[in-house]
This record gives sequence, structure tokens and C-alpha cells, in this order.
Amino acid sequence: MSIATRRRREVRDAILLVAPFLIIFGVFFLYPTYKVIALSFTDAPLIGEGNWIGLDNYIKLFNDRLFYTSVWNNFYFVLLTVIPTTIIALLIALAVGKLKGRVQALVLTLFFLPYVLPVSVVTMIWAWMLDFQFGILQPLIEAVTGKPVPVFKNPHWVMPMIAVVTVWWTNGFNVLLFIAGLRNIPDDLYEAAALDGATAWQRFWRVTWPLLWPITALVLTLQLILQLKLFDQVYLLSNGGPFNSSYVVLMQMYREAFQLNNGGYASAIAMVLFGIIVIVSVLQFQLLRIGGRRR
Amino acid sequence: MQDTGVHLRSVTKDFGAVKVIRGVDIDIERGQFAVFVGPSGCGKSTLLRMIAGLEDSSGGKIVISDRDVTDVDPADRGVAMVFQSYALYPHLSVFENMAFSLRLAKRPKAEVEEKVHKAAKILQLTAQLDKKPAQLSGGQRQRVAIGRAIVRAPDVFLFDEPLSNLDAELRVQMRLELARLHQTLGATMIYVTHDQVEAMTLADVIFVLQGGHVQQSGAPLDLYDDPNNRFVAGFIGSPSMNFFDATVEARTETGLRARLTGQPDLSLDVPLSSPPDVGAKLVLGMRPEHLMVTEADGLRVTVDVAEELGGVSYQHGTLEGGDAVIFQQTGVRHNMHGTLQTVAPQTDRIFAFTPEGERIR
Repeated sequence: MSIATRRRREVRDAILLVAPFLIIFGVFFLYPTYKVIALSFTDAPLIGEGNWIGLDNYIKLFNDRLFYTSVWNNFYFVLLTVIPTTIIALLIALAVGKLKGRVQALVLTLFFLPYVLPVSVVTMIWAWMLDFQFGILQPLIEAVTGKPVPVFKNPHWVMPMIAVVTVWWTNGFNVLLFIAGLRNIPDDLYEAAALDGATAWQRFWRVTWPLLWPITALVLTLQLILQLKLFDQVYLLSNGGPFNSSYVVLMQMYREAFQLNNGGYASAIAMVLFGIIVIVSVLQFQLLRIGGRRR
Repeated sequence: MQDTGVHLRSVTKDFGAVKVIRGVDIDIERGQFAVFVGPSGCGKSTLLRMIAGLEDSSGGKIVISDRDVTDVDPADRGVAMVFQSYALYPHLSVFENMAFSLRLAKRPKAEVEEKVHKAAKILQLTAQLDKKPAQLSGGQRQRVAIGRAIVRAPDVFLFDEPLSNLDAELRVQMRLELARLHQTLGATMIYVTHDQVEAMTLADVIFVLQGGHVQQSGAPLDLYDDPNNRFVAGFIGSPSMNFFDATVEARTETGLRARLTGQPDLSLDVPLSSPPDVGAKLVLGMRPEHLMVTEADGLRVTVDVAEELGGVSYQHGTLEGGDAVIFQQTGVRHNMHGTLQTVAPQTDRIFAFTPEGERIR
């Protein structure tokens, strides 16, 4: 067989193997993406074509006070979840790592279990537990604050409580990532450190923490992207209220698109959120990388 | 001067119901290079880790430098260990790897610099100090691991199969460097290996371990010349000793005459001071280097594989009864493959053992 024939055959095989993905990616991702970008420059309703209006949607958006409230709430939520969930997951992973064999598997399963639940079930469970009249957590709240609190109807409580629910729901996956990272650190290193006279604290800061840093950076970045896309929990628990105190960007997009029939404007909101997520996560990843290199 | 030797008294170790170390007594004098050798699973690494304090002892006493350290933390035992995997911190430079223990102890900067550079000079690592372990070759990593131990200036160096991850050529080179290092530092060193060549070349004193016991200890050549039992006889020396079943045919003035099972026309005179009774079963051991090709009566060996190494060759074959035999040829190059050869042992180099494996002297 000549080289040219073999080469042609290789190219053909390569195309055959890549084609299914390319087709699905094009139809279900590239084309919709193009449509959203195109829509954001029109006054189109949800269904049907609209007129080209240039940057009007974006100008309107940047003059929309509700949009700034939403963005602010998004960042408030990120602050409440990303770093806390990372720290909690690391602590749980360190503790679970001390266990052995079946007990470890069992405990890990328990921590991972909430992650398996669909969001509607998660919010249902917590809505019941935090119910103003019958919730089993209300006595706890009462013990701290002196009176029961309708947490999802209180502007101060609503975001932190949604954050608690979210951390409880998604923490298992982060624990799993950390456990995998911890298992990758050879025991020899800890033994060598012990022989060198390192205390448990020094072993953590000088061996575990720096070697786990790539995983920590990964967890932080994944969490940041995930939590900026907050929608389901808010929609199901508080519907953006009270007084828009849990109104987030995706909530606004959903309302504009599916309740107010403003397809073009909703697309513009989606584009801006997309931009925010790209900028913030790239920024964060670069910062984390620099932080990792200095170590 | 203080005795920085290592002394173990009836040390035991159980993992649950499994007894790994079954009462070991060991004395290693100050400045000696001791080697624990044995097949895998014999407990040699466990014993080393017990001396380091990485494994608790189930019983007995461990004394290092006149101090009972049985229940002392690893860091306070005055030992440094070189791991098989090197256990270098991948995120730290060579310098920081070697300085790790000093940094933990918060030593002054000048002292850290001085000690690390001194160790780096001994090990020819000065040019590598800024590199990360991943940028080093296997041999260099090995040296960094040793350097980390040197910086701590311990009473006792522990080596856990340190050369087994290196290729053959580098292993020979590092073996020499370790021997030189021992001369330079003069510290007590304990070295674990499954490779009896490493043990023979490095050790002042060898401890052969098997089944959680010390089978025999002593200078390398003493073990070679005078093994206590069949296990040590078979383990020390390469290729290993040939063993043949035999029966005592008669007692002689110097010992006994034995007849090999399945070899009716060959009897061997074995000099022994306390020979067993006529008719008793025994096992005779002969090293490959002590079997000579002869024209007279001897063992008839069909050679099936010949390993020609240039200077020497090892001829592998079988007796008529099916027993495997190895014999060595030096300086001559016959193509013995597939031929029938007659070999006879040097009679003063025959070892006799009971069927249970104990040496008969």
C-alpha cells in the first residue's frame, strides 16, 4: 500500500470518528450559540423573527437597575458558597481519609448521597425542614435568634439559606475530588516528613496543602462557574423574592424570555452573563496558577 | 565515645493474627554497615521501619545510641531514612528538599545554607540545587534522598532497598558510591535489600532474614563459607547452591561416605566431625563453582542451557534422576549445550544438611 493511500485512509477514519461529535456539537451547541448572539441584537419575541435593533438591548440592560441587583446577588451568592464549600469539602475529605476500608466507603457514600438527588427533591426537603410553622429546624433558629424566622421570606436570611442548601447538595462531589487528590499523595512523603520531625500541622501545610493545590484550584474554579449559573434553587425556594433580594441574572433572563416574551432582551442578558463567567473564571484560574507557582 | 550502635532484643511484630517478626535479636556496632537480606515477605523492610519508628513494635526492645527508643517518635530517634521511592517532595527544589528538616526545626539561614551545600558537595549535587525532583535523573534523585539524610546528621542511616528503582549499570555505580559514602561519614548504616550481591559487596555484617527470624548473621564471606542451614546456603551465593538427597553409606575416619539418591555408581566422602548414623537421610549442598568437569566418576549432567558470560559460564542441566544442576566453568569455552558432562565436587567443599535443613558439621 502506498503512503498516499494509507494517509487518505487515516484521514477518512479520523473524519468518521470525529463526525458524530462534530454534528451534535454543531447542531446543539454552535448553532444555538450563534442564534442567541444574533437574537440579542433584535427585538424578537420568544418564537419568531424580530427586527435588527443594534445594541439597543445591551444599552437597555446596562440602564436596568434590576440587572445590577441581580449581578450583585450573584456575586453575593458566590461569596457565600465557593470558598466555604471548598473548605468544608477539604475538611470532610481529610477526616474521611483517616477512616479505613468499609467504614470509609460508607461515610463517603453518606456525604455523596445528596448530590444524587434532583434539585426539586433537595429544595422540597429543605423547604419542609425550614417551614415557618412545622419545620424541624425552626427550634434551632429560635434558639439562636429568639424567634422563628420564615427564612425564604426574609431578605436577610434568604441568600445565606439558599447557600446552605446548595453547599449541602453539591458538597459530595467536591469531597470526592479532594479524596482522589489526597490518595494521590504517597504515604512515603508523610513518613519522610515524620522522620524529619514535622508535626501534624506542619505535615498539612508543607506536604498536603501544596500537593493538593491543583485540586483545590480546580474545585474553586468549577464551583465559581457552577454558582454563577444559580437558578433552580432560587426559582424553587424563593422565586427571587422577597423584594428581589434573591433575584439573580438567570432568574431575570428566565422572566424576560418565558414570562414577558422578550426573546431578544433575554438573549442579551444571557450573553452578558456568559461574558461575566468567562472573564471571572479565567481571571480566577490565572490568579490560582500564579499562587500555585509561587509555592 | 558514645556507642551509636543499634541493638534489638526479642523484637516482635504482629499484624492482627499474622506474625511478621518473631523475636529478633540484632547487634550492630557503631560505624558498621549492616545489611538485612532475605526473600520478599521475610519481614526485612518491616524490621527497618520498626527501627525507624514508622511501625510500632508488638514486643521487645529497640536501643539506638544507648537509648531505649521502642516507644519514641520517629523524629526523636536520631535516624534518617532513604526510601525505595526516594519520597522527594515534588513541589520543592532540591535545595528545599534537603533543607526540609532544618526548616522544620527553624534553624538559622546561614546554618541551613552551609549544611545543604556541604551535603550537596559530597554528593555532587551543587549544580542541581535549584531544580525540581522531576527534572532529575533516577540516580540524581537517589542522591538527593541520601543528601536529605546527610543534612540531618543522624546517628544511624536507614536504607530501604534504595537501588531497586535504578537500572543495572547505575545500580553498580551507586553501590560503589554508597560504600565510599560510608567510609567518608563513618556512620552506622542499615541497608535492606533482596539482592544478595548488594548484600555481599556492601556489608560489614549481613543478617539473613526469613519467616520473621534471623537465620544467620555474620561477615559476608563467613556466611558464604559456613552457612548455618540450607536456607542461608541457598540464598547466599550466585547462582545458588545445588542440593541433592543422599543416604549415609558408611562412616569414615574423617566423616562419612554418602551415596546420592538415584546415582548408584557415585559415593562421596564428606568430612564431618559429628556424622549421623549409617542409613540416615541427608541433603548434600555443592556450589556451582565447586563442581569440576572430570574424566573420572561423577555426576552425569545433561546440559540444556548454557549461560556464557565471557569470563565464566554457567551450565544448567539435569541429572539422570531429574534433579536440576548448575555448574560453573571458568576461562574455557566449550559448547556444552546438549552434551552429557560428568562433574565431581571438591570434597572439602561439600555441605551436609539434615532433611529439615539444619547444617551437619
